[in-house]
Amino acid sequence: METYKLTVNGQPREVTVDPGTPLLWVLREELKMTGTKYGCGIAACGACTVHLGGVATRSCVVPVSLVRGRPVVTIEAMAEDPVGRVVQDAWVSKDIVQCGYCQSGQIMSAVALLKATRKPTDANIEESMGGNLCRCATYVRIREAIKVASQQLK
Amino acid sequence: MLAGRSMLRPISALLIACGAWSLSMLAGPAGNDASQESKASASNRADGLAAWQQVYSVLTHPRCINCHTATSYPQQGNDRHRHFANVVRGPAGKGVPALQCATCHQEANADSTGVPGAHDWHLAPLSMKWQDRNDKILSSAEVCRAVTDRAKNNNLDGAGLLKHHTQEPLVLWAFQPSRQIDGSLRTLPPLTHDEFVSATRKWVEAGMPCPQNP
Repeated sequence: METYKLTVNGQPREVTVDPGTPLLWVLREELKMTGTKYGCGIAACGACTVHLGGVATRSCVVPVSLVRGRPVVTIEAMAEDPVGRVVQDAWVSKDIVQCGYCQSGQIMSAVALLKATRKPTDANIEESMGGNLCRCATYVRIREAIKVASQQLK
Repeated sequence: MLAGRSMLRPISALLIACGAWSLSMLAGPAGNDASQESKASASNRADGLAAWQQVYSVLTHPRCINCHTATSYPQQGNDRHRHFANVVRGPAGKGVPALQCATCHQEANADSTGVPGAHDWHLAPLSMKWQDRNDKILSSAEVCRAVTDRAKNNNLDGAGLLKHHTQEPLVLWAFQPSRQIDGSLRTLPPLTHDEFVSATRKWVEAGMPCPQNP
């Protein structure tokens, strides 16, 4: 067990865990931040996506020992994020969610895309969102919502 | 007179013989040197080509060639299958905004989750592809030509290539690829890193010879 100092959504946090513990489980089990979901555990579905040092990251495969001082941002902070707020509003306006399990990861990836590419093409969206799976198959509505959010952002 | 003429014949023959010997003394050693140099050069080239074949055996191992593709995606595994999760190359070989290499690959191997990692994880540029678009590995001659073409290899000369093979984090990773998600160790290239660097050095010192076609 080792102690790690993390910055999560701008707040300093400290956890004492095994170095190999995935960031996902630190968030969910140690910090009780359950907005980030466990889907596959092998980075194949995207449900666990957070932003690590500004990069959309699959938290289920990143051991806490490799976070190394980079700030962690989760779905819980998106309402306060300028791009995150716009994306969440677009998600609501397009009534995207069906079961909702994958959606926090979908939103974290969409925000990462729009922060890097304000006016994404269909190809940009398909490539960037290609690692986020949705068993309810809300893909078409997700693409529409990203375009709506894109129009709202300068 | 007849006797005089008959006496001249042996002398003439002797002079001719001496002249021939003199000429051979002048030309002979230089000719031998050229021959020896030619033999040495051929031997040097043969040694260099042998060293290159060792280098090629590493470059075309899955730990290396999986990221030297000709396609819009990386490969993974010893069977060199397409990388899962719809990962794509992206404009700089590092993926796309929400699906970068760094979305999973960190600065070091993640032993607990089986994800390999090293500094600046990325695909090699298309100019350094060592496969064709059907994922068939290029020949030794083709890879050698690409590796030695400074218009394709980021302008590296022999010393630069040796340094790349010695120090580049992703090259070093190939020799310490750690565990897969099932806990088994990834297979290693056919040479150790020291052997790989030694073979590269021999090849560079031999003038970086490439095999003839194909």
